[in-house]
Amino acid sequence: MKHTWTCEEIKATAIGKPTRRGLLKGGAAAMTGGFVAPFFSGPAQAESLGKMNLLAWEGFAFQEPLKDYLAAKGITLNISTIATQDDVQARLGGSTPTVIDVSSYNQGYSELYGRILNIMQPLDEARVPNYNEADIFPEFFHKPAWYWEGKLYGVVMGWGINTIVYDPAKVPEPKSYTDLLKAEYTGKIAFVDDPLANWPIFARLSGLGAKYPNVSKDELAKVFEAMAPYRDQSKTFAASIGDVTNLFGSGEIAVMFCGWSGLPTETIKQKVETRYVIPAEGGAVWSDAFFIPKTATNLDAAYAYIDGIISPEAQAKHAANTLSGTINKKAVALMDDATRNLFDYNNLADLFAKSPLPNIPPIKSDEFATFDDWTKAYADFKAGF
Amino acid sequence: MEKLKAAFADRRERSGFLLAAPAFLFLVALFIVPSFLLFIASFWQFDNATIVPTFTLSNYLEALSRRAVLYSTLTALKIGFWSGLISTVLSFPVAWYIAFKTRSNVLLYLVLLSWFSSYLVRIFAWRTILGTQGIINSALMSAGLIDKPLEFLIFSPLAVIVTLVHIFVPFTLLLLLSALRNVTPDHLDACRDLGGTRFDILRKVVFPIAYKGIIGSFLFTFILSAGDFITPQLLGGRSGMTVGFMISNEFRVSGNWPAGAAMAILLLIVFLAASALTTRLFRLLRLAPGVRYHPLQNPASASRR
Repeated sequence: MKHTWTCEEIKATAIGKPTRRGLLKGGAAAMTGGFVAPFFSGPAQAESLGKMNLLAWEGFAFQEPLKDYLAAKGITLNISTIATQDDVQARLGGSTPTVIDVSSYNQGYSELYGRILNIMQPLDEARVPNYNEADIFPEFFHKPAWYWEGKLYGVVMGWGINTIVYDPAKVPEPKSYTDLLKAEYTGKIAFVDDPLANWPIFARLSGLGAKYPNVSKDELAKVFEAMAPYRDQSKTFAASIGDVTNLFGSGEIAVMFCGWSGLPTETIKQKVETRYVIPAEGGAVWSDAFFIPKTATNLDAAYAYIDGIISPEAQAKHAANTLSGTINKKAVALMDDATRNLFDYNNLADLFAKSPLPNIPPIKSDEFATFDDWTKAYADFKAGF
Repeated sequence: MEKLKAAFADRRERSGFLLAAPAFLFLVALFIVPSFLLFIASFWQFDNATIVPTFTLSNYLEALSRRAVLYSTLTALKIGFWSGLISTVLSFPVAWYIAFKTRSNVLLYLVLLSWFSSYLVRIFAWRTILGTQGIINSALMSAGLIDKPLEFLIFSPLAVIVTLVHIFVPFTLLLLLSALRNVTPDHLDACRDLGGTRFDILRKVVFPIAYKGIIGSFLFTFILSAGDFITPQLLGGRSGMTVGFMISNEFRVSGNWPAGAAMAILLLIVFLAASALTTRLFRLLRLAPGVRYHPLQNPASASRR
């Protein structure tokens, strides 16, 4: 029977007591290696999975956590950045979708992407061995936002909280969203133009948080009416997280209304120390999952990439880099204390019971305001109506 | 058809057709046809995140009934108007100087130099200049002229217009320069010899000859500025929402192509009306020649003379 020597066996042979058989095997392996090795150049021994088109959020492409892994697999990332989640359906939907091998979606978009736009392809779980019941927290394993009709469609790569981020050098810490209506915050607030981050909080501030995303059209009008004073307090609507970072960097704003809690890791690069705070009204939990679009052409690289990003090492590094949560139980042990203490990993069930991952408004409904209604109302709100 | 055959029989006409054909086909394939498809799509319906090919006027009616659409259209038109006007007015003396006062093109190249930076880089550069802690505010505060930053400089329509003027001045300059090249020194001398003042030269000679370039540079900037949504979004602040952004929102966020198409068609109609109005205004002010200056194109009026 063919036997392949593993590193451990070679080490054991080297460290352990040598036997005649072991020496013969070792000698034969060394001789074979010595003769054959010169015929293979170094890089040729590594896999070469080639270029992979990735459509991902800024800071969520995993280049740094996967640096060695990608090099070993021979994967070159061709990254396009998402400014808002809608960029994904804009690129992959419609009659002329672009070739993307891996992209990401917020849990609220599962129905739109998976069932209505039909832009996702089911994943072969055998090709994502790191995604297994033993290692993945149950909250992220085979749950409806990523798994339906007996098939896996998305693999969560990170999760966290959307909340207020502020510059402590310029404004006091807001304890509640209503604090932002005080004079010291006037003209210092930016909304991020990200409906997913804003809508659940808008609903909560108008007293309809428990109903979100299922509110009637009349209630929808009340939601945006309640938000008018916050709009009046703001300076601008930032186009993306990158734009907000620049606005903090240039001193134009001191508060981000609601967005990625990991923003301080970006603003510090511009020498501006910001902090995130979860106000009395709470934050909005989010998760992003990678999926393989139907337009993907490099499936080998796509599977290898997705498997790589949920490895314990990559997850631990990514969580530290982006102040986000992990889905891999083994990653928790690899984290530094600060990253580990961001979330109570011993009681994730409780966290998600209190702050469930929100869905987006229904795509079609006669009873509730639809996604299209929300989008229009949100556009009107931005225009000042 | 006979005329077409006759035209093709003429060698000069035939080569003219052939030379124009690539650009013509390009425009037909990538502008006329898509615009027509957009027009058709504007009557379709968006239902359950899918586009249903049917016939409905609801997209137009909804766009016209939304105050935000009307308001953002007005904002866009204001931004377009001021950007077009300022760009054209600023470019005119420069074009005049290059056309009549100097033989050197150094000034032209200096203005065109800004083309070497990208559109987005220029927007962010203006953010740096106009920002609360930007160059202007810092200079004014250092000089003791102000004690706190001028907030209106950034995230306002003013910031958008300043940036768009900077972006479009090279274009308007080239258009005006090209138009002023049609005005020869003989034209100017003739007017002077007939006792015309400087104003007469401008009004009765330069404008009627170069009016296409003047109107063209204004409309070019007006339409592109009014349709822009990147600059207003990055520099306009809360008051910077333009209809271009709302159209983009329909296509990009909602995926509601019919609603976006209807708004785009409405904007196209507004632009066509603005173009017609501008040309009409020039004629009313007698700054454009009209048919009476082209008797060969109008034998009836020629015979009357």
